[in-house]
Amino acid sequence: MKHLLYLALISALLSGCADTPLKQAEIEDRAVVTTPFKTELASPSETFDRADKQLTDTAAKSPADSASVSTSGVSDANIAGKTLASAKTPKETAVKTQGIATQELEAKSLGSTPQDAAVADTTAAGNNKDSADALKYEAQPILDPSNPQSPLAQRRLQFDYDSSAIRDEYRTLLEMHAKYLKGETAAKLIVQGHADERGSREYNLALGQRRAESVYRALNLLGVADAQMEAVSLGEEKPISEGHDESAWEQNRRTELLYQGE
Amino acid sequence: MLIRFLLAVLFLISGFSVQASMTIEIVGGASNRVPIAVLPFGGRQADAVTNIGAIVATDLGSSGYFRLIDSKDSISPSDPNTLSLPAWQGRGADAVLMGQVLPAAAGKLEVRFWLLDAVRATQLGAMSYVSTPASLRIVAHKIADTVHEILLGEAGSYSGRIAYILKRGGRYELQVADADSQNAVTVTSSPEPLISPAWSPDGQRLAYVSFEDKKPVVYVQNLSDGKRRAVARFRGSNSAPAWSPDGRKLAVTLSKDETSQIYLLDLETGVATRFTRGGALDTEPLFSPDGQWLFFTSNRGGTPQIYRASLADGRASRVTFDGGYNVSPAISPDGKTLAFVHLRGASFHVAAIDLASGQMQLLTDTVADESPSFAPNGRKILYATRVNGRGVLATVSVDGKVRQRLSQTGDLREPNWGR
Repeated sequence: MKHLLYLALISALLSGCADTPLKQAEIEDRAVVTTPFKTELASPSETFDRADKQLTDTAAKSPADSASVSTSGVSDANIAGKTLASAKTPKETAVKTQGIATQELEAKSLGSTPQDAAVADTTAAGNNKDSADALKYEAQPILDPSNPQSPLAQRRLQFDYDSSAIRDEYRTLLEMHAKYLKGETAAKLIVQGHADERGSREYNLALGQRRAESVYRALNLLGVADAQMEAVSLGEEKPISEGHDESAWEQNRRTELLYQGE
Repeated sequence: MLIRFLLAVLFLISGFSVQASMTIEIVGGASNRVPIAVLPFGGRQADAVTNIGAIVATDLGSSGYFRLIDSKDSISPSDPNTLSLPAWQGRGADAVLMGQVLPAAAGKLEVRFWLLDAVRATQLGAMSYVSTPASLRIVAHKIADTVHEILLGEAGSYSGRIAYILKRGGRYELQVADADSQNAVTVTSSPEPLISPAWSPDGQRLAYVSFEDKKPVVYVQNLSDGKRRAVARFRGSNSAPAWSPDGRKLAVTLSKDETSQIYLLDLETGVATRFTRGGALDTEPLFSPDGQWLFFTSNRGGTPQIYRASLADGRASRVTFDGGYNVSPAISPDGKTLAFVHLRGASFHVAAIDLASGQMQLLTDTVADESPSFAPNGRKILYATRVNGRGVLATVSVDGKVRQRLSQTGDLREPNWGR
């Protein structure tokens, strides 16, 4: 069809002088296909996003209803009616991440005591007499990611601008998660990197990936197997804070740790 | 000199459920605009079906290259010979466009149009399109392309289509619309983010990144039947699809082996071949129109800059030098101009560099620009920016002189201009 049109256009231009006879071109009407298309959901192992727990849970029960992605066809020369209507069909899937975020903040303060102790341990690492302290300490924390009292409830690491360097303050947090993962070899972790909103979405996706990888590597060095982890990035797409200032950006530059099934 | 005017388009168009009201704001323009009178089209039910004359007039008037001569009080005659060209010359028109909509076989309509030179009293061109009533808007845009080409000697870009992401009601919609952002249709809708739509060279498919699996995965979707498939769902993140000129490969960014690196994905076999190496971030690949080069963004030099690598041997050289943040390359169809996003101070602007001379020019005065792409005729750049906290789409001519804002209701981002 396009060729036809193009030919007609060219010939019209070539001979486009006085009293040119009419040139004809046919514009076909291409049908709009409105078949709603359901994507198969990823296997549950790929959908464990803690922040989207609700969604994942429901998705597991009835994949067709929630998290539905609908697609429809469209011709070049497009026609509104039907297809526009289909755009409204997909059901809203309420995914709210804010509630979870607050919970995490609470969890953070709860978990702070054992953490501080551990920071003291690690900073003094290399000193032989400290290994005894570390052993004594190991018995104490609850290593259960689903328990808000556990240091494992803390899942968020913040980053400096344009940086993927892990701050010292997170050393203990990572050690706790590493310890748990080594003990629970069936447990799986998604290390999810995020960036602030400034600049290109794709470059920010890469920055978030780098942040996730730096946490991944740290856990790897602490002995966690590759098979237990995946580093992914959501770039700037899932901010915790919707603001457009430095304090919002600072909160959004982060890596989240998500356990499978969450 | 700044010339500002607003064209309200919506109420000129009837008979279609247009999704959202839109205005085009033009700032600046060519110094010598061609004065043209676009007469309302005559014939059977012309204006009741789709006001073709009004759509052509809006296309031309908003381009910055034409000055519309008031013609609301007239109607196209059925015979161009009966038109009084001296009268239109008297009103200031150099050119007159007139047309007729006539019944054709099988419920179709025939649109005839004539472009006349009012100064020399000659016919510059005449053509006819046969279409269904539903495709009359496309016909109107094609007519605008033809008029533009005859009068200015270069292709118009009114009949292309754009794809972009609309965020509304907690959902992300991939929409396809005419280049004037009318006639929008949602082709994919998801509760999770969608980014980076990219038109295939033939305009029949869209590649994009979807987060529905809780991580970025690259999909390719046919526009004709809405069918799609995940083409890159490797371990880690999969993003930044860019089509090869022959439509058989996608350049993509994958993190499966190392940090974000660029791979060439054969769409037939599904095999991804690594293209860049090294510990730096490499992303936003883009094929040159001749298929010889791959442009991409990399922070290998310390800051994100745009590089160009030969597809033959993979050797890369840096393209952008000015400033500490140059990302999101877009290439003109002739391969001579590279547009990108440049950070100056705290503002992100669309800039363009002439690849032969290395000359860079800032094109926009908006401050949160993203995702530039060229019009099929290479004269305009479409991009996303933020105005009052909302994502809007805008265009700027390659010389920076003509700026337009396509504003629909809703939060728009990630535009890409297709054929």
